[in-house]
Amino acid sequence: MRNFILFIRRFFNLILFLALEVVCIVFIQQTSTLQGNDIVSSANAVSGLVYKKQNDVVYYFGLRKMNDSLLSENARLRQMVEQYKSVDTLTDSFVSTRTTIGDTARHIVRFSDYIYRTARVINNSTNATDNYITINRGSAHGISKNMAVLSGIGVVGRVEHVSANFASILSVLSAKQKVSARLKNGANGFVVWDGKNPRVLTMIDVPQQVAVKKGDSVFTSNYSLYFPPDALIGTVIKTEQVKKNAMQHIYIRSSTDFNNLQYVYVVENKMTTEKKMLEDSTLKK
Amino acid sequence: MNVYLKNIFRFVIIVLLQALILNKVTLRWWNEPSGFPVFIPHIYPLFLLLLPFEVPVWGLLICGFALGISIDAFSNTAGMHACATVLIAYLRTNVLSALLPRNLSEYSGLQPSTKSMGWMPFLVYSGFLIILHHLVFFSIELWNISNIGHLMLKTGASTLTSMLFIIVYLLLFTRQDSARS
Repeated sequence: MRNFILFIRRFFNLILFLALEVVCIVFIQQTSTLQGNDIVSSANAVSGLVYKKQNDVVYYFGLRKMNDSLLSENARLRQMVEQYKSVDTLTDSFVSTRTTIGDTARHIVRFSDYIYRTARVINNSTNATDNYITINRGSAHGISKNMAVLSGIGVVGRVEHVSANFASILSVLSAKQKVSARLKNGANGFVVWDGKNPRVLTMIDVPQQVAVKKGDSVFTSNYSLYFPPDALIGTVIKTEQVKKNAMQHIYIRSSTDFNNLQYVYVVENKMTTEKKMLEDSTLKK
Repeated sequence: MNVYLKNIFRFVIIVLLQALILNKVTLRWWNEPSGFPVFIPHIYPLFLLLLPFEVPVWGLLICGFALGISIDAFSNTAGMHACATVLIAYLRTNVLSALLPRNLSEYSGLQPSTKSMGWMPFLVYSGFLIILHHLVFFSIELWNISNIGHLMLKTGASTLTSMLFIIVYLLLFTRQDSARS
């Protein structure tokens, strides 16, 4: 026993060192799973508050740019509304009804699957291997894990940690997540990030015979569990043939400028739970 | 000022400086050799480097862990900064005793600085520990052996920039004797 205590005293520093390193490795291990580590993340109360205070100051410098982007988005949405007004024969609908009293035609109303909530970006990074964005909305405002996050013009990421008033988002600029994507002509693939340039994403798993032109748009596909379909991801810069598996890599300029994010939309898909339950029950059999 | 108070104050300043300003400074050395890594300067290990000589190793380890975890909480990298910082906290005493001419216990009441050690030994001391810290941190972050050139480039460029920022910090915050008189 005495020897044991002597041993502990002699190697106390080394033991403490190893113990702390083990704690760190456990933390890192937890982070690398998709559930993540909620305590040591920028969604916790202290760092969330500090980031919020900072953003309250810095916020005003970007107002002009933000106004411009909101205006252009408004214009785009108005145009979309005009298009939908003339369509009254969407096939997979639930109810058809008169939308206004004097209306003679019966418009088909589709109940929306998605709820959009706005949130302000209070912290943002683009230089790590897995980049996170902190927003000033949390579970108190109805945000929960795995909701999709879009900006006015493109895909941003997926909610990973939530506290009462803050949430941190794993952005598309991450080695950890793949976004299911499709090209304009219907070819599917995944969008990943190689960790180098924050404006350039890579689309993989596209067969070589698919013809891709520079400037083509890339959208989220219908297969994604989290993202709503047809959200813009970016435009094609160049393509590269991969010899070993007859696929091609498509380099994409992301439409979201991750360096200048001010506001984002958090998208709740009301059908996610049901869809996931169905898919899980199929897997079990 | 009381030495405890002074170091707690420095801890807060350095963590806020790192989290609120330097984490947003994304540097690229030149523009378009595609794939040249972007990086940010890390000055927060400086807090550990500037702790007084008498702090025992276990104290350094705990300070290092607290420092690393605080930076982790701000940058969403649970454990990565802490892992690298705890390592340099463990090695600090050995590096110091290798560099200094006299026994460490003779420097009571002092702290490692450009004044107590001289510019050259201090730069060697901080340069060695910073390069070690960056190497460990980036290898954990990238976690990919096949990309060793990228890792080396990122570590080298990042170390040089961090050292530059550390020198600027020292020039700004070291009290000059002439200024006092």
